[in-house]
Amino acid sequence: MKNTIKQVFHSGKFLVGFIIFFIIFLTCIFYPLIVRTDPLAMVGNGNFFAPGTYISQEEAATEEPYSLNVDASSAKLQAALSVDDLSAMQQWLIKYGGVKESDIDVTDAQKMAELWQAHYDSTVAQPGLIAAKKKYYVRLDKKITAALKDSGVIIADKDADTGALTESKTIKETDFINTGDISNKRTFILGTDNFGRDVLTELISATVSSLKIGFIAGLIATAIGLFLGLLAGYLGGFPDNLIMFITNLFTVIPSFVILILISYSVGNSARGIMMVALIIGLTSWPWTTRSVRSQVISLRNRDHVNLSKLSGHSMMRIIFTDILPYIASYVVMAMILQISSGILSEAQLSMIGLGPATTKTATLGLMMNWAMQYSAHLNGSWWAYFPVVIMIALISFSLNLMNTGLDQVFNPQLRD
Amino acid sequence: MKRRTEKLMSILMISAITVSMMAGCGSSTSGTTASSSDSAASTAGASETAASTDSASAAASTDTADADSTPRNETLYFAGQQWGTVNDYNPMSANSNNAMVINQTDYARVLVYETLYMFNPLDGSMKGLLATGDPEWNADKTEMTVKLNPDAKWSDGTQVTADDVKYTFDSHVKYQSSTGTDYSNYIDSVEAKDATTVVFKAKLDDKGKAVNPLKVSDYLPKVYVMQKAYLQTVEKRNNNDADKIKQDPMKDLVASGPYKPYVDNDQKIVLQRDDNYWGQASSMWGKLPVPKYIAHVIYKDNAAGQVALQQGEVDVCQEFLTDVQDMWEKDNLPISTWLDDAPYGLCTLMPTAFFNTKKAGLDNVTVRKAIAMAVDYDQIIASAMSGQSPTFDKYPRSIMGPLDSEQALVDQSALKDLQWKSGDVEGAKKLLDDAGIKDTDGDGIREIDGKNLSYKAECPNGWSDWNAALEIVAAAGKNIGIDITTYFPEASTYYDDMTTGNFDICMWSSPGASVSNPWSRAMFFLSSKYADLKVNWSGNFGGYKNADAEKLLEAIPNETDQAKLKEDYTDLSKILLTDVPCFALMYRPGEFYTVNESVWTNYPQSDDGRNIPPMDCTDGYGIAALYDLQLVNQ
Repeated sequence: MKNTIKQVFHSGKFLVGFIIFFIIFLTCIFYPLIVRTDPLAMVGNGNFFAPGTYISQEEAATEEPYSLNVDASSAKLQAALSVDDLSAMQQWLIKYGGVKESDIDVTDAQKMAELWQAHYDSTVAQPGLIAAKKKYYVRLDKKITAALKDSGVIIADKDADTGALTESKTIKETDFINTGDISNKRTFILGTDNFGRDVLTELISATVSSLKIGFIAGLIATAIGLFLGLLAGYLGGFPDNLIMFITNLFTVIPSFVILILISYSVGNSARGIMMVALIIGLTSWPWTTRSVRSQVISLRNRDHVNLSKLSGHSMMRIIFTDILPYIASYVVMAMILQISSGILSEAQLSMIGLGPATTKTATLGLMMNWAMQYSAHLNGSWWAYFPVVIMIALISFSLNLMNTGLDQVFNPQLRD
Repeated sequence: MKRRTEKLMSILMISAITVSMMAGCGSSTSGTTASSSDSAASTAGASETAASTDSASAAASTDTADADSTPRNETLYFAGQQWGTVNDYNPMSANSNNAMVINQTDYARVLVYETLYMFNPLDGSMKGLLATGDPEWNADKTEMTVKLNPDAKWSDGTQVTADDVKYTFDSHVKYQSSTGTDYSNYIDSVEAKDATTVVFKAKLDDKGKAVNPLKVSDYLPKVYVMQKAYLQTVEKRNNNDADKIKQDPMKDLVASGPYKPYVDNDQKIVLQRDDNYWGQASSMWGKLPVPKYIAHVIYKDNAAGQVALQQGEVDVCQEFLTDVQDMWEKDNLPISTWLDDAPYGLCTLMPTAFFNTKKAGLDNVTVRKAIAMAVDYDQIIASAMSGQSPTFDKYPRSIMGPLDSEQALVDQSALKDLQWKSGDVEGAKKLLDDAGIKDTDGDGIREIDGKNLSYKAECPNGWSDWNAALEIVAAAGKNIGIDITTYFPEASTYYDDMTTGNFDICMWSSPGASVSNPWSRAMFFLSSKYADLKVNWSGNFGGYKNADAEKLLEAIPNETDQAKLKEDYTDLSKILLTDVPCFALMYRPGEFYTVNESVWTNYPQSDDGRNIPPMDCTDGYGIAALYDLQLVNQ
């Protein structure tokens, strides 16, 4: 046994798969211990906030500032005006502002901004300009005015009775704060999803549920498959025919269709993690049965089995001591594949809205489903779906890699 | 040796897959760009069977594309209205899916068929279309006279007469179309006084007063006028069989509108301008609408429509788009909406969650109110609606929608004490605790009489903003110890559940702005009349009953004193907020309106002073936009 395990870990493929899987597994265990927020809490008030650290604007405004000798106004202008903006400004100035092309230097943002402020008027007739563009110029004008403002931002307190404003602080453009001083902040490494939930925390929690579903479904499917396969293979005759008849029935009907039908008829409220795992497990056993059966058939006429039979051992004992050990490695490999396909099945089910309930658990498929419903893939909100895809890929990749590694160790035909 | 063949095989396989994928991509685009289909077919030659079917379909689509294609700069493209092959052009049909032609709502789509008046939700006014001048009531409000525009003509050149209006109404009633069954409760008959004068006689109650004059006016901007002669042809070819008449596809229709059917298939529906349209008369528009064709490509889903909009293949898009502002703020596309900032559109509707007041637990006002209080509306508006709704802080809950004209009819200060703030979980918990509704068996869910409070909140599958809103309702339930699970069946199953009261919590949209609103919205929320209907499409799906509310609802249609109206609506709002038979989850635009100015420009904008509503250039007075459109490159 020890030797076998040693051999298994010598296989490069198995090792890589195992390490990837182990890292995911450890993350799933330790991340929730460190980050204790509810993975389903709707933190962000809006759709798909981009990854980053969000600091409290109120605290930042009230924090004691540091003065830095940085020419902030030109930096602000540079940041506010892109090359496209500048050329759009040039076009407007020539066409509607009555400025000569020779007077415009597109490369100098400062001068452009001054020229713009001198000539731009949103109320002037702009024939031939589409509404979207007019609105764009209004926004651009606001941006330039804000960037050029040198008086600073005034913070005022409102008198509760009279409603009069009294100035309490002015934020100058040379005022900076150290982000480390801000205590009120929240980091979303992978942004938020369409409900405003923290994607990373949700992703880990979803991976846990997916692994649970995968393991339970894999266990159930392997158990059923193994039991029926052993029975059919060892007994032969009528039991074999009957079991194979049923198995063939299930093989012919695509299991995903059965999966959909059962999940649909169970109804939303009953579909928890366990139920989904059970349904997946109950629909994916046929191929395990078939392959276990064929392995058993090749084993049952071997000499040691016949000897056991002659010795009058019971059927159970023969199966457990003379047959099972020979196919154990195969069964483990089959189970790994079942786990992997269980995770994929869950993702597929949740994608079409037949998975567990959104408010009760996070699953990988549900995350994909909502990202798609709110068209994250069209809006460039990659953080809402890409990490999920990667996670699903990594899990099934690592499991399959482990399976191939095991195969190489146990299958004499594949040994180098 | 074996290894080598394996490697060779895998390389072959991969190249075969790549080639077939490329071929697949090529032929799928060939539907839209005919020129690429040839090259795609030749690439597909790699795999025999796929190639033959592909090239066959490509050839077929090339043929139809050539025959049907309309010049881009003469065609206005739509998205988000038509989702399947058009089945008929019949305004009396019960199951017409023809969204581009038939839409008899508060602001009817008047591209092909026309109504007597056009409604403008911006100021609540009606403008004459087939009619001219305002409708006039007689002194005791039992008869309404409408004058037809003498210039109005059918597409076959004959005059639109009062007889046509009469015959249309009579047909609706005779063949029991949904319009007919609804309005025959309020309109006794339509008479043709002379060729251009129509008299609507209201149904009278036992006191000799009109049952509901509001519903009579409501008919005018909503129901299409059909030609008597054509209707008679249809009746004749269907042997006067009511069911057959209602199912007649009417592809050879005679209508009065500026467009006529041109092409419809499983790819698109196209309407062509009728250059003899009567509206060129100076008494109406004085000109023809600008686009020669109106086209709607049938997209697979919202996402496909959104991509087409972003690429400039669609001009007017009636779809809910997540973070719509990103299209112009981040992607710099020539796309805009009615308003530049949130809520972006003209919100008139109130998608509302109804409690089934006949279910144990939900018959308890405290439970209903607690759920309504715990819901995080700000979250619904910011995430489920993507900011495309004003908040309940700005327009507090009442019978009224978020239009200033409607808000003027309610006294918000009187309702202040009844309002609840968004996501008030603690308040809701306290309410339940005080009422003795507690969790006694420690499973985290409260009970009444030992029974867990456990409910299903349902709405149709795939209506993403509604689905998300109900998820947030479910989350609220979790926070206060009431188990709410969401349930999203297919639309048809949902309709059965909703209309027959087979639900715990369901969701439906209130009527928007119209001639008969806010009255019909108050009916929708509160009317006991709807409570016992066997099949209820009208409102109050939860079977709530309140005699006081009913009295007010009956009095309002005949009330003309604005102060009294305001008082009544405020009282109704009080009942709504006290008894919570239903609660609005958000405000929503009557129609989403996002336009791309790649080809066409001069669409209605909120600040252009033209008073044209953002009704997708097709509905009610929104159609006025079609007459002002301009090409960008001209």
